[in-house]
Amino acid sequence: MPTVTIHPSGEVIYLEPDETVLSGLYKAGYAYTIGCRRGGCAICKVDCHAGSFHYNRPVADTVITAEEAVDGTCLSCRAVPENDITIELRGENVRLVNPFLRQMNEKARLRAEATAAAERTRRAGTTTKE
Amino acid sequence: MAVMRMGYVHARVTDLAEAKQHYANSLGLYETLAEDGKVYYKGWDEWDHHSVVLEEGGVGVVKFGFKVEYESDIDLIEKRAQDYGLSVERMSKGENPEVSDGIRFISPSEHVFEVYHAQTVIGTEVGTHNPEAFPRHLVGVGVPALDHALILAEDVRTMENMFRTVFDFFPTERVQTDLDDNDAHFIATWMTCNNQIHQIAVLEGPQSKLHHFAFKLGDWTEVGRAADLMSMDDIPIDIGPTRHGITRGQTIYFFDPSGNRNEVFAGGYPAYRDRPVNKWTPDQIAKGIFYHARELNERFTTVHT
Repeated sequence: MPTVTIHPSGEVIYLEPDETVLSGLYKAGYAYTIGCRRGGCAICKVDCHAGSFHYNRPVADTVITAEEAVDGTCLSCRAVPENDITIELRGENVRLVNPFLRQMNEKARLRAEATAAAERTRRAGTTTKE
Repeated sequence: MAVMRMGYVHARVTDLAEAKQHYANSLGLYETLAEDGKVYYKGWDEWDHHSVVLEEGGVGVVKFGFKVEYESDIDLIEKRAQDYGLSVERMSKGENPEVSDGIRFISPSEHVFEVYHAQTVIGTEVGTHNPEAFPRHLVGVGVPALDHALILAEDVRTMENMFRTVFDFFPTERVQTDLDDNDAHFIATWMTCNNQIHQIAVLEGPQSKLHHFAFKLGDWTEVGRAADLMSMDDIPIDIGPTRHGITRGQTIYFFDPSGNRNEVFAGGYPAYRDRPVNKWTPDQIAKGIFYHARELNERFTTVHT
């Protein structure tokens, strides 16, 4: 269950598997500066400080340069986290526009964490019995 | 008459399969050819072979094609372009499938323009023999034709001069810092060569970039229906349905699956060479672009491909 942590405010957002950073943030009730949402305009770039991601579509080299491909630049509308990642927006912070979605996302994250913890406990228990 | 219209837009897309879904199934263009990683489309009310070419790899615009009435117009425009200081090259028949010979040059804005005099005629989807009003089984929005494009350039005034001198276009509207043309800095210009309110517009911005290319629609009702279909197909809408103060056209800006901006555009008043140019001052640009919201969204000047 990948999460996106937004630096510096520390908000943690839960993403469904294969969900892009942009999609996850908007589904969690947040907004920020975005454009085409289709990987072409480069406006939704953020910086990735920790964790890894891949792009779910080909990205034009005019949008992400060879340098940006390795410097932590993250085209958020196409980036799918591979594990928990930490991002920082450029020159702004996310705006919470739908607090109800934020609540639902928070519950989904806690539920996923509880499920994962229970699974770890179950495995640990099985190991002990063996 | 020399130039008749903007005949084709050739754009890049990152994924051709997704682009085909958008342009054929959502917008309803008719595919006329697919070869060498490119796909060619026409609208139902267009008779020439294609008005849109999509090429896989990257985003943005490759080139624009302008159609002239007579073969001899090519020589005329070549001469004017050379006199204007552009380097012009000849293109031969078939360099673009189903397109005649012509010329090619790079504008001061670093866009590629081609001029041709003929394309293979396919005919409209209703034909010319006692035609029906529209095809019965249109797909999606069912756009009838390509309408215009907006490109970005560092120097708008120079681009207006080029279109005026080389293509014999005239401006219909402008955004300028002073009502006196001589003192003004031109921020944007809308230009045409016939009664269509604009065929090409130029906005100040980075060189060689595409702001959008637009398809024609009939009226408000069709624009509203198009917006409904965009919601059904989950197409990101940039803005609209709304009206442009500039041109008075009714509009939706939206994005193709690679992030190129498209528009559907209806209306606009008839243009005439002797009609005085409408001039918008920078403080009213938001009303000029989005007549109802009267506020530019953050994407209008920053998002392009």
